[in-house]
Amino acid sequence: MPRYFFNLRHRPGSGGLAADHEGDELADVNAARAHALSEARDLIARGRNETIRDWMVCSFEVTDERDKPVLTVPFSDTLPEEGVWD
Amino acid sequence: MSQPQQTTVRNRLLKALSQDDFARLQPHLEPIDAELKQTLIAPNQPIKQLFFPESGYGSLATEAPEGSKAAAGIIGREGLIGASPVLLGADRTPHHIFIQAPGEMLAIETGVLVAAVDQSPSLRKLLLRYIQVLFVEAVQTAFVNATYTSEVRLARWLLMCHDRMDGDELVMTHEFVSLMLGVQRSSATLAVQALEGYRLIKARRGRLTILDRKALVEIAGAGYGLPEAEYARLIEGA
Repeated sequence: MPRYFFNLRHRPGSGGLAADHEGDELADVNAARAHALSEARDLIARGRNETIRDWMVCSFEVTDERDKPVLTVPFSDTLPEEGVWD
Repeated sequence: MSQPQQTTVRNRLLKALSQDDFARLQPHLEPIDAELKQTLIAPNQPIKQLFFPESGYGSLATEAPEGSKAAAGIIGREGLIGASPVLLGADRTPHHIFIQAPGEMLAIETGVLVAAVDQSPSLRKLLLRYIQVLFVEAVQTAFVNATYTSEVRLARWLLMCHDRMDGDELVMTHEFVSLMLGVQRSSATLAVQALEGYRLIKARRGRLTILDRKALVEIAGAGYGLPEAEYARLIEGA
């Protein structure tokens, strides 16, 4: 199975990327996206820390084993497209 | 090979034993080298041996059937791996204890230790006090996980590891940090970066170096120190 790296973008610039050097083995890019969303939900729910004030500006910049960008998953994708107030 | 002497052992429990109690155990202590990730206590398997770490340390983890897991404690030269199930009368435990930092252990057969404890009230008392410290530490972990940010939790774990090793460099992946803190790997990476930003630690791939222990103690605050003080009071009479 390919290995995907889930780099966490929380601010612009090089200091705003928490690089993932270890990665996770997943079946394909769809599985990588599902994994990113699940990780994002867990971070929003339990990831209290001193670096990130607003999870909704964060995204996972997912790369492959050759360090090529595969996809970007904004944390806002964890929310339904239409809110209950629309 | 000559048997370990009480004057030269590094394990703090063995040091704290009376001379008689040490003499009871000494002929049965077998030095072994424990390797990274080696299982010392397998979940739900009969416990055949216990281990007094001389160097290095193990992690105690609970593992859910679907694969998620979290560490609840570490056991190094202050402890006895396998003490709580065996001394509390269980033949096995659902928890997994495996090596996080390689080192030397003094192994002892379960039956031999149980017989020694049955013969010596003072040995039983000391080891039960140690189990009380383990319980204090587990409750402290629950408190810290419920109360503090991942940076504070990381500071506490690093101090606990530092207490159990020589030197300032820990071999540690972010995967392992996430297991210790009970958080996602991304959270572990953020916490490592934050402490690195404060210049308390230096992180290289697979390695963390403690740069400023005093400041880590300050950051950890009330998260660190209670079980350590109980150990000193109950085991070493401090």
